[in-house]
Amino acid sequence: MDYRVLLMESDRLMLERLSQVINDTPNFSLAARFQNVSDALGQGAVFNPNLILLDIEQPDGMGLIDQFKRAYPGAAILCMGEKWQAENASQSVKAGAKGYIIKPFTGMELQETVETFSRLGGDAGAETLVFFSPKGKSGKTTLIANLAMSLARKTREPVGIIDADLQFGDMAVFFNLAPQTTIVEAVRDVRFLSPASLRSYFMPVASNVSVLCGTPTPNMMDKIAIDRLENLIAMSRSLFRYILIDVPSGFNPTSIAAAEGSSTTFMVTMINGAYEIDHTKRALDVFRDWKDVEERLKVIFTRVEPCDSRSKMELAQKLGYPVTEIIPNEYTIVSDAADKGKMATDIRPDSPLSRQVDRLAEHIIGRRHRIRWAAV
Amino acid sequence: MGVFTQEINGVVITFFSTASAVGKTLISTNMASELARQGKKVCLVDFDLQFGDVSNYLQLLPQRTAYDLQQAMSQQQQGVAVRAEEFLTPYEYHNVVFYVLAAPTKLEEAYNIDADKAMDMVRQLQKVFDYVLVDTTSTFSKLNLALLDLSTIVSFLGIVDFIPTIKNMKIGSETLKKMNYDKNKIRLILNRSNAKTRISIEDVENLLGEPFYHILPNDFHAASQSIKDGVPLVLRSGGSELGEALRDLVARYTNRVYDDAGDERGSESWLARIFG
Repeated sequence: MDYRVLLMESDRLMLERLSQVINDTPNFSLAARFQNVSDALGQGAVFNPNLILLDIEQPDGMGLIDQFKRAYPGAAILCMGEKWQAENASQSVKAGAKGYIIKPFTGMELQETVETFSRLGGDAGAETLVFFSPKGKSGKTTLIANLAMSLARKTREPVGIIDADLQFGDMAVFFNLAPQTTIVEAVRDVRFLSPASLRSYFMPVASNVSVLCGTPTPNMMDKIAIDRLENLIAMSRSLFRYILIDVPSGFNPTSIAAAEGSSTTFMVTMINGAYEIDHTKRALDVFRDWKDVEERLKVIFTRVEPCDSRSKMELAQKLGYPVTEIIPNEYTIVSDAADKGKMATDIRPDSPLSRQVDRLAEHIIGRRHRIRWAAV
Repeated sequence: MGVFTQEINGVVITFFSTASAVGKTLISTNMASELARQGKKVCLVDFDLQFGDVSNYLQLLPQRTAYDLQQAMSQQQQGVAVRAEEFLTPYEYHNVVFYVLAAPTKLEEAYNIDADKAMDMVRQLQKVFDYVLVDTTSTFSKLNLALLDLSTIVSFLGIVDFIPTIKNMKIGSETLKKMNYDKNKIRLILNRSNAKTRISIEDVENLLGEPFYHILPNDFHAASQSIKDGVPLVLRSGGSELGEALRDLVARYTNRVYDDAGDERGSESWLARIFG
C-alpha cells in the first residue's frame, strides 16, 4: 500500500526533518505539510491524504484527533510525541488514532509502526495474559510457548512472549535461542525506546510469534524497577494482539505488578500428588480482593490424569473455584520437544496436549476480553 | 563462681536448588528425622516462606510461626532476648523428636518476613541446636544468598529430567562457584536418578564439571506415601530403597561412614579414601 502523508507539525525544524524522512521512505510520499492546525484542517483535503501524522503535544492535542477524523474520514491517524508515554499512547488510541510514534523517527520506524497498526486492525492494544504459579515447576513455560504458537496459528495475528523470570528464564531454552537482548536490557533501555525500536528486542521464533527472553545468568537483584517493567509491558501492547508473560513463581514485586496490570491472569499449578491444591487455594485467596476476580483470574492445572471433564470438575470442587482448562501429562512429548528446541504441539499436533492447548487458545480468542488500557 | 563455657554454634545445612520440585522438603524432613533418631538436637526451618511444605509433609499444625518470631524480635526490649525455641513446633514419632520453625500461615505474613531478621532467627537457633536444617525456595534471593554464606554445608539438589532443568542446575552450580565457597561446603545431590529420561548422569556431571556427592534413587511411590502418612521414610521400619539412601546420606554428613569404613577395611583404607 502507498501512503500519502499529511504531516502536521508545529515546529519548523522538526517539520523539515520529518518531511525528509517521509519522502525517503519507500511507499511513503509527502502529500501536504502544515505548521498550523487550522490550515491542516481546512486545506489538506485538496491533497487527498490517507495517512495523517499529527503532533499531539500541543494544547488540546487529544481533542484534535476527533477533528481530524471528521475532516479526513478515509485517513488513518498516527499521533506523534517527543517521548513515549503510555498514558498519551493509550488515550490517543482511545480517541481514534491508529497508533503513536516518537519523533524524530526513521523511515524504518515509520514503516514498522504503520505495519503494526495495519496488522492489528482497529482495536487498541494487546491483551496481556500473565501466567502465575504459586510454587515453581508448574509447567507454565511449556504452556506459554505452545499456547503462543496456537494463538498465532488461529488468529494469524502477532503474539509476543515476555519472559519476566529474571533468574532462570527458560523461554530461550524452549525456543533454542541465544538472545542478544533480554528483558534486562529492555527494562534498562525502556525510557529511551519507542514501540518500533522495542520490537528489535523481541526475537522472532515463528510466523507471528516473538519472544523477549529472560536472563541467561541469574540477576542478583531481588527485584527490578517495577515502573519500568510496567512501562515495557504497556509499550509492548502496541506491537501485538496477545502478550503472554511468564513471571517468577510466588508473590514477588514482578509477579504482583504483572498480574495487577493484566487483562487476564492464569494461575497455573502442576498436579504432583502433594499439596498443590492447598497452595493454589491460598494463592487464590490473595486474588479474591479483585472485584472482577472470576472474570480476570483463570485457573489451569497441568499434568492432570486422566485429563477428562470429570477430573476437571473434581479439581474445581476441591478448589472451590472454576477450573478453566486442564492439561494432560505428556512428559515424553514435552521433554522431547524441549530437548530439541521445538514445540510439543508442533511435534505432535494430534496429541491430547495439543488438543487442550488449542482449546485454551480458542477460549482466549472467544472471550473478547475487555481491553484494559485503564490498567496500564 | 560458674565454670565458663564457650558458646557453641551448631551446624547449619541449607537445602537449595535452582529448579523447583526436586525434593528439597522430602530430603530435609528425612535428614532432620535421621539426625534426631541418632540423638542429635535438630531444628528444621521452613524458609520456603510463601508455599513451604514442611508442616504439610509432617502434618503439623503450628501455633506459632517464623512470622510470630519476627514480631517478637521487633518488639523485644533491650537486654531481654527473645527465645527463638519458644516459637518452634515439635515433631514426634515414637521416640524421635525434632523441632520445626514453621513458615507463616498467611501469605501476607510470608511476604513481610525480612531477610535480616530471618538470618537472626537461624543464628539464634544455632546456639540451641546441634543441627539447624533450612529448607528454601529455588532462587538466588537476598535471604537465600545470606543463608548460603552462613551455612556449614549447602546441599545443592538437582534432578535430571529435561534440558531446561539441567540448564538451571548448571547456572546454579556456576553461580555457587563464583561465590568462592570452599569446595567441600557445596554438595551436589542428585535426586530421582532412575527417573524416566534419556539424559545420562555422566553427561550431566561433565556439564557441571564435577561428580554428584550423593545420588538418591527414584521411588516416587514410597515418597508420595510418606507424604500422605506424614511420616518421613527413615522413621519407618522395613525401609525402602530411598529411605536407605537417605540414611546413607546422613551418615556421610555426620562422617559415620568413615568410622565404619575404618573398622571394616583396616589400615590401608585411608589410602583408598584419598586416591579412590
